[in-house]
Amino acid sequence: MDEMEARLIRCFSSVFPDLAAEQIPTSSVESVPAWDSLAAVTLVAVLQEEFGLQINLIDLPELVSFAAVRNYVRKHKNPS
Amino acid sequence: MNLIEALEFLKQAVPEDEHPLKVFLACGFTPLHLQTFFAAQLRKRLPRQRVEVKTGLFRDLAGSIERLPSSGCDVLAVVIEWQDLDPRLGIRSLGGWRTADLPDVVKSANQAAARLEQAVRRTSTFIPVCVCLPTLPLPPLFTTPTRQAGAYELQLRQLVASFAASISNESSIRVLNTQHLDELSPPHARFDVQLELMTGFPYKLPHASAIAELLAALTQNSEPKKGLITDLDDTLWAGIVGEVGTERISWDLDEHTHMHGLYQQFLCSLASAGVLIAVASKNDRALVEKAFERRDMILSKENVYPFEVHWSRKSESALRILKTWNIGPEAVVFIDDSPMEVAEVKAEFPEMECIVFPKNDYQAIWDLLKRVRDLFGKSIVSTEDSIRLKSIRGAAALRNAREVSGDSLDDFLQSADASIRFTFGKQAADSRAFELINKTNQFNLNGKRLSDAAWKTYLNDPATFLMTASYEDKFGPLGKIAVLLGRIQGKVLKIDSWVMSCRAFSRRIEHQSLKQLFQKFDAEEICFDYQATPRNGPLQEFFTGLLGAPPVTDLRFSRTAFSGRSPSLFHRVEEVVNG
Repeated sequence: MDEMEARLIRCFSSVFPDLAAEQIPTSSVESVPAWDSLAAVTLVAVLQEEFGLQINLIDLPELVSFAAVRNYVRKHKNPS
Repeated sequence: MNLIEALEFLKQAVPEDEHPLKVFLACGFTPLHLQTFFAAQLRKRLPRQRVEVKTGLFRDLAGSIERLPSSGCDVLAVVIEWQDLDPRLGIRSLGGWRTADLPDVVKSANQAAARLEQAVRRTSTFIPVCVCLPTLPLPPLFTTPTRQAGAYELQLRQLVASFAASISNESSIRVLNTQHLDELSPPHARFDVQLELMTGFPYKLPHASAIAELLAALTQNSEPKKGLITDLDDTLWAGIVGEVGTERISWDLDEHTHMHGLYQQFLCSLASAGVLIAVASKNDRALVEKAFERRDMILSKENVYPFEVHWSRKSESALRILKTWNIGPEAVVFIDDSPMEVAEVKAEFPEMECIVFPKNDYQAIWDLLKRVRDLFGKSIVSTEDSIRLKSIRGAAALRNAREVSGDSLDDFLQSADASIRFTFGKQAADSRAFELINKTNQFNLNGKRLSDAAWKTYLNDPATFLMTASYEDKFGPLGKIAVLLGRIQGKVLKIDSWVMSCRAFSRRIEHQSLKQLFQKFDAEEICFDYQATPRNGPLQEFFTGLLGAPPVTDLRFSRTAFSGRSPSLFHRVEEVVNG
């Protein structure tokens, strides 16, 4: 696990406190009942804070799983 | 606090609590991160108490408050935004920004504000209410360029200011200071347009965090400090009086020492609000007396008591001042320009707030004034505040007179020309009675504190009564100094709470209070919800004297037993019934 992934797990853990750490890397909208629209907005806000990103809420529908979020953050953190 | 910290805070386990603090957050928008920040800030302030934050219906601020039941909630926090006064003042409504619409926008905002005021006032009769006025920018719907304030915009701002001024007169309503919020959250960096349109939450995170922090502080106002001890040279005035003489010390614009004048004026303001001011100065007493005779001195010697002016250690002065005031070091602020003196006093009294006066630094003195105002800030200045210093001088005069006369206590009290006014009536707005219950330690039946909501619930119970006592003698008035809460059960009175200010000791007011209770309710027995606390020694001594043995829990005694043991009482007694 790299440093970015560890920080992502911390973000997920803040927003979904009932999710066990080992479940986070495979989590998704389907597997986490608490992942509703408000949680999604909170997750985006937390990611913005943690990574200093400006996430456009129009991209919200893309961010439906831990893997998707990880890819999104990687892409926007290192846009080259 | 950022959002991750807030979420982490809320994840921490809290002890089970039978009486969690239930807070209702009323806002017209989706509370989202504001609710998270608010809950986290409350948890931070009350780490040992479970906190529950509930919210109302989206887009129905006034309705949410109106539907709030009279029980089940301890505090109401109201966050108003412009769209709560008229949806056209937000950006989610497309109701029209035509010039012709503006008079109607103002009119409907007036109606909405009136409805809100009514709802807030009603709620404040049973729980405290904290109100945050609109914080977001008005949308560009006015005809003037944005740099110019137009008539309709100014009318809207006036309406909000009038609403705030009107409700802030209620003792149970606290309005968040927008000037203070501006310092924490710059107005141009508050509004998140995209978030508002996509989620219904209008705040950028730092702004939500700032509002939550201030609202949480407002719901849990800390106990204000009671006394301030100040140095003189290079603090109350510029210059060292022993070196330059009384005519060369200064506090004015000409000498570039005006900040000392502001400090004096500020101390006068504190004194007028009931704060005790004392002087601790290593100086020649005669010189200091002469300095205080200068006609341009802003802080008069009548505002100061006592003066500790000699060459002993400052901590010794502080100790004597604390004894004279009869308050603890935790309630006192010490200000001196010498870091060494400040450190010496702090070492002796770690609980005391000890501050170095930043002479020659204008901005730092300005910041000091604001900091000290926060330490002493209170919602209401009561009658008792205005006579506090007088009554402390009176108490000292009484002690001195007794020492000089050598009379017995009976002879002395007989000549004191004392009168007590007992007031019966359950006035929830009696902020002095509520304050006494929640701050008195020494003469306190059980040390129990009451929340605003519990106080009002108690008084609303038809079986309960509230008795207060106000005292005056030839040495001056003490004001309202005792509070008794109890229940009537036939010929038996159950006393749930009994406190008396330490300023009122040694006058047999406590004996007269019990006598009054037996007479007023024709009671045969009084039962006390007594509990020993680490600080209620004076109350224990009183009961020990009356019972002939230390008090125990389930404490009670009969009218006959009281009559047989009560000492002679010389007060003139007056009874007043309110409501």
